[in-house]
Amino acid sequence: MGVSDSYERGREFLIEDPIRAALVIVFVVLALDLVRQLAVGQTQFSEFGVLLKDGLMRGLFFGLAGIGLSMTYSILNFANFAHGDLITGGAFGGVAATYVIAGGFGTEAALGSLLLVGAGGSVFGAALGIGVATSPLAVLAGVVVAAVASIALALIIDRFVYKPIRDRSGITLLITSIGVAFALRYLIVFVFGPGRRGVTDPSGIPSVAVPVIDGTVNVDLHEVSLLVVAVVLMLGLHFLLQRTRLGKAMRAMADNEDLARITGIPTERVVRFTWIIGAGLAGVAGYMFVLWNETLHWFQFWSLLLPVFAAVILGGIGSVYGAIAGGLVIGFVMSLSVVWIPGGLSRAAAFLIMIAVLLVRPEGIFAGRSTA
Amino acid sequence: MSATETETDGDRTGDSEASDGANRGTNTWEDSLLAVRDLDAGYGDLQILTGVDLDVRNGEYVTIVGPNGAGKSTVMKSVFGLTNRMGGTIEYGGADITDTQPEEIIYEGLGYVPQNHNIFGSLSVQENLEMGAYILDEVPEESIEAVYDRFPILRERRDQEAGTMSGGQRQMLAMGRALMLDPDLLLLDEPSAGLAPDLVDDMFDRIDGINDDGTAVLMVEQNAKEALRRCDRGYVLVDGKNRYEDTGRALLEDDQVRQDFLGG
Repeated sequence: MGVSDSYERGREFLIEDPIRAALVIVFVVLALDLVRQLAVGQTQFSEFGVLLKDGLMRGLFFGLAGIGLSMTYSILNFANFAHGDLITGGAFGGVAATYVIAGGFGTEAALGSLLLVGAGGSVFGAALGIGVATSPLAVLAGVVVAAVASIALALIIDRFVYKPIRDRSGITLLITSIGVAFALRYLIVFVFGPGRRGVTDPSGIPSVAVPVIDGTVNVDLHEVSLLVVAVVLMLGLHFLLQRTRLGKAMRAMADNEDLARITGIPTERVVRFTWIIGAGLAGVAGYMFVLWNETLHWFQFWSLLLPVFAAVILGGIGSVYGAIAGGLVIGFVMSLSVVWIPGGLSRAAAFLIMIAVLLVRPEGIFAGRSTA
Repeated sequence: MSATETETDGDRTGDSEASDGANRGTNTWEDSLLAVRDLDAGYGDLQILTGVDLDVRNGEYVTIVGPNGAGKSTVMKSVFGLTNRMGGTIEYGGADITDTQPEEIIYEGLGYVPQNHNIFGSLSVQENLEMGAYILDEVPEESIEAVYDRFPILRERRDQEAGTMSGGQRQMLAMGRALMLDPDLLLLDEPSAGLAPDLVDDMFDRIDGINDDGTAVLMVEQNAKEALRRCDRGYVLVDGKNRYEDTGRALLEDDQVRQDFLGG
C-alpha cells in the first residue's frame, strides 16, 4: 500500500507540476552523474574542490555586490544598470590608492603612472609587490578608498541625475541608469586607458594546500580575505537592518514608502544611506574581487552586472538576504557547470538556473520579503 | 430639527446653536484644534475638493460621511500633505500646516491611519510600533506598553510579521502605531473597511475608548449610520463639497440626509 501510495503521489506530481518535476529529475540525474564521475575518476575530488572554492568566491562577490542593487530596487524602485560601473569606478580608485602607497608615493615609479594604475603598461602590480601579505597597508587603504570612491560616485550621480527624476516611473530611471553606466564606463576608460592589467604579485600570496581525497586544493590568503570580509560585512548589514533605528527605517521604507513618510521617517536621508551602504558594499566587493582575480579592466564589472542581476532576481529582487542567497547559487552554478558543459557556457548555465527557479518560484527564493 | 445645509447657511455660529451635541464648549470656532478653511485640493491637475470647511475641537469625535468618490479620504490626505493643495488653509493647534511636508506633520501631534497599506507588513508587530515613534531618539517603552494594554492581542503577537495577521489585528496595529506619540488628534480612514461584521462593533468600541481617553478623532466611514450614531458631529461631503454638517444625531434624524445618504 505504501508503494502504490507514493506511486500515486509521484504520478500526481508529474502531471500537476511538470516543470518542477522536470527540474527535480534533472537535478537528481546531475547529482548521480557527479557521483559517477567522482567514483570512476573522470572528475577528481580535488578538481571538484577547486570548483567549489571558486564558486564560493564568485558567489560571495555576487552576493555582496547584489545587496546594493537589491536595496536601490526596493527603496528607490528602479533597477540601477549603472551599478556595475559604479563598482568599476570604485575598484580603479581603490587600486590606484594601493599602487600609490605600494609604489612609495612616486619613489618606485612615476606618481602619474601609479595614479593611473599603470595605464599603458607603465608599471605593473607584480613589480610593486602588491598583495595582502606583501603590502597590507596599501591593500587596506585600497579597500577603504574603493568603498569611498563608489559611495562618492553614487551620491554625486544620485544628486544630479536620479534625484531630479525621483518620482518618474521605474522605466525612466532604468533607461537613465543605462545612460549613466555608459557615461561612467567611458569616463573610466578615458582616464585609465583600455588595458587589462595584472594588479597583484601572484608570487607573493601565501597559500596552503588543503589535502582532499585524491589531491590538494590550494587556498590562498586573498581567498581567505574575500571570505572574511564578505561574511563580516554581511553580518554587519544583518545587524544594521534588524537592530538599528536606521536599518528598521530602511526596511519600513522599502515596505511602504507613503506610510514611512507619514510616520516621520526622513525619506531622503534613508535614500542617502541606501546609496552609502549599497555602493560601499559594492565598492569593497569589487576591490576584493579584483584582488582575488588579480586583474582589472574597464568593463570588468559591466560584464559581471548581468550575473549579479541574475543573483538578485533569483533571490527575490528587493531582498537583501535573497541577494546573498542568489549570489551564492549563481556563483556555484557558474563554477560547477564546467563539470558537464564547456566553460564558455557557464554564464548560460547561470541564467538557465535563474529562469528555472523563477518558473517554479516567480517571486524568487525570498519571495515577498522586501528588505527583511 | 433639521440638519444645517451648509451651502445655504454660511453662518457657523448658527450651526452650533441649532445643535445639541456633546463637547460643546463655546459657540465660536476659535477653539478649533484642526481648522480646514475653503480647501481646494486634488491629485496632480485633478481637483477633488472645492472650498471644503471642517473643524475638529479638542477631544471631539467628528466623522465625514458621503457617497463614494465624494473626496472624504482626500480631506485626510490633504491634512497630511499627501495631495496637491490648490487653495485654502489648514491650521492645527493655531499653526498653519497647509504647506507642511508629510514627514513633518507628525511633529505637530497628529496621528493618521490610512485606509489601505497602513502597516509595515514585513516588520514585526513590535517594530511597527517602534516606527510609530521614529521621531523620538529613544523607543518609548511605556507607550508600547500602553498600546499593548489597549490591544492585548498585539502583545501576544509582538514578534509576528505584521503582514501575516488578520484584517482586524492589522487595523489594531495601525491604530496602535498612530497612537505611539499620544497624538491630540487621530485621523482614521475607514477603520471598519474589510472587517468581518462581528468585528465592526468591537472596532467602533475601541475608537470610542480612544476618544474617551481624550484624543480627538476625525473619521471617514463607509458605515455611515453607525459612525453618526457614535460621533459628536458629522459632515456630509458630496462631490468634493460640504453638503451638511451637524451633530451626528441630528444628521441621523434628518429626513433629507436619511433619504439621500443613509438608504432611507
